[in-house]
Amino acid sequence: MSMNGESIPAAVTRQDALYQEAADSYGAALDRLARGYEADPDRRRDLLQEIHLALWQSLAGFDGRCSLRTWVYRVAHNVATSHVIREHRVNSRILVDIEALETLPAKSDDERDIDRHYDRRHVLEKLLALIQQLKPLDRQIILSYLEDMDAALIAEITGISPGNVATKIHRIKNVLASKFHEGGNHGK
Amino acid sequence: MENEIGDNVKNLWKNQQVEPVQISLPELHQKARKFEKQVRRRNLREYAASPIVAAIFGYYIWKFPAPLVRFGNFLVIAGVLFVMYMLHKRGAARPVPAEMAFRGCLDFHRQELERQRDLLRGVWTWYLLPLVPGMAISLLGMFISTMQHPNAPAHARFIMIGFGLTFAFIAAVFIVIGKLNQWGARKLQRKIDALDGLEKES
Repeated sequence: MSMNGESIPAAVTRQDALYQEAADSYGAALDRLARGYEADPDRRRDLLQEIHLALWQSLAGFDGRCSLRTWVYRVAHNVATSHVIREHRVNSRILVDIEALETLPAKSDDERDIDRHYDRRHVLEKLLALIQQLKPLDRQIILSYLEDMDAALIAEITGISPGNVATKIHRIKNVLASKFHEGGNHGK
Repeated sequence: MENEIGDNVKNLWKNQQVEPVQISLPELHQKARKFEKQVRRRNLREYAASPIVAAIFGYYIWKFPAPLVRFGNFLVIAGVLFVMYMLHKRGAARPVPAEMAFRGCLDFHRQELERQRDLLRGVWTWYLLPLVPGMAISLLGMFISTMQHPNAPAHARFIMIGFGLTFAFIAAVFIVIGKLNQWGARKLQRKIDALDGLEKES
């Protein structure tokens, strides 16, 4: 492994080893996370690189007080949230809470009928569109929920109470049920 | 039913095709070094103006022997050093602690914006005012020593106009700097409001 004639030092530091472990274990999850924050493929690649760099830099101070998984997700969400804040200043795009999506009317039978014929890719695109219109906190929660994390872990990552997380997850489930009544079955 | 749909969507999400970024450790090391260089350059830019101004007024101390002018120039240098200290103490950008939980991260962003806004709002007290006494005394000293010249009475009107214009120019520069910073503070306030909108939970 080399770049510009430089090779990895023989003694890989603890920071490097931790990063390698994190990248191996959560690389795919970080890619999915970046998809939830940035729709444009080029800017998403930049965001992902920024996340990896921040992760590597942060691991110099990893003291084991939380699990490596919690650390990785905190860093990734923070970098991505900073990205959303920067983009929000430029685009002034309106972001909403999960509660706002919950109050939207459920789909009609006709619309569900149309969904039935859509493929997995379309359902994923729809899911991403839904995620990308959420405010950062709700985005962190839904992305963590989709990664199968429990309320306690999500609370640890976001810094809000497990009770609040549980309420949010309940609402997320409602929104997914109303929007993906048929489409969700493609995942089976 | 909600749980079942939730599980289906989760499966779909986790099984989507991904292209994880492959960054080698040497690449990361190189990027980190590049980033550190950028930070160093930015810090250098922030402080570059102050030593230049101090050097110019140091030259004036040597060039103009009149005690009042020297005292004024000395005060200007002291003012510049104070501004540098304030810039270092209150102005330096702080990186976001990467591993902070979400709440802490947003609070950090907000605090940083508020700190920068307050710094710009208070530019008259910590940036401009410390330079005023030195500039005023130096200008007064130069005016007095010019008027003491044997040929001065014959050109008194022109000398007064010249000094008046110089004073007006310096005052205008100060006012423009003050106004620009107030404008910057208002821009930061709009960013804070936008952040509040992002943060607010219903």
